[in-house]
Amino acid sequence: MTDDDDLRARLRRTDPAASLEPASPAQVARLVEEAMSRNTRRWALPVAAALVLIAGGAAWAVTRPSTPINPVAAPTTTASAAVVSPGPAASAAVVSLTASGAQAKCRAPEPQRLAESADFAFEGTVETIENGQVTLSVTRVFRGRPADRVTVAQEGETSETMLGSGKFEKGTDYLVSAADGSILICGYSGEADAIGLRELYEKAF
Amino acid sequence: MNVDSRRARFETLAPAVIDAVRRYLARRTDPATADDVLSETLLICWRRLDEMPAEHLPWAYGVARLCLANAERGQRRQFRLLARISRLDPPPQIVDGPGPADDDLAAALRRLRPEEAEILRLWAWEDLAPAGIAVVLGITANAASIRLHRAKEKLRKTMTASGHEESTEGSRP
Repeated sequence: MTDDDDLRARLRRTDPAASLEPASPAQVARLVEEAMSRNTRRWALPVAAALVLIAGGAAWAVTRPSTPINPVAAPTTTASAAVVSPGPAASAAVVSLTASGAQAKCRAPEPQRLAESADFAFEGTVETIENGQVTLSVTRVFRGRPADRVTVAQEGETSETMLGSGKFEKGTDYLVSAADGSILICGYSGEADAIGLRELYEKAF
Repeated sequence: MNVDSRRARFETLAPAVIDAVRRYLARRTDPATADDVLSETLLICWRRLDEMPAEHLPWAYGVARLCLANAERGQRRQFRLLARISRLDPPPQIVDGPGPADDDLAAALRRLRPEEAEILRLWAWEDLAPAGIAVVLGITANAASIRLHRAKEKLRKTMTASGHEESTEGSRP
């Protein structure tokens, strides 16, 4: 394998990072601290714009006429979260929601805000995912009509949509809240064990 | 895992991750993007700490790779690309450089497909074995091993082939 060693050594001599000075301890400390605290800070920054977009999107979702499942998202933004099919699907024990893969800048979630805006909130486990249609079996309803199952049309994945991996995954528990049939994004829905999410729900409901 | 032990774990492994990912990024992008992507990568490592395997560097490189790809799709792509090109491909030095061997290697690397060159970089610069390369690229260890082997062969061949030109003068294509 000396051939390999030679080749590797030769490649290494061209390493552009060879002369890169190691980060100073202060720099490392800053980066570490930033990562651990940025969860909130990052979301706190672009508040105004996001709220306007989301509010706009939600208003649009509420006021628009009938809703086939697919359409989603206000025309000019990617921040509107999702749209329900309020009609027949909302009957009895099954609730239908949609979750778009919208990207949004968010501010830190607050229990009060969650309490004010959510009209439906539940905890559930993903049973099946078929053709972008996610079915969750409900284990607990925090707010809203009791339901056994919730179906969500999942259209994309971003970390803003769902805390955790950014999308629904089979067998995982989720805490999900919705308003007017739209899943609340920006840290209000996500994997049940996402940091702080359960506390948020306990405080809000 | 409670919050404190989580923080403690992250604080323990972060310095090594920072060092490695900084280098990874310095090799592949301009300083401004590297800073952004490093922060983003750390944030994801922190959020997904529980998923981090014991061999955390390849995993962190994998995260950095995706973050970098995202960043490069971003708005400032054009501008930064220019900065990067001028850095990675500086005007040829006619003065006695480190030796013609490096030019030869650089030219050969440029002639490989980007994925092939990248696998060689992960191997030589990030010092990864096929198993680690597999984690970074999200492929199987077997595939990584095969691709690495082929890339090495191809690089050797390319260099041998261009060896003749080099003896005459300037081997840049």
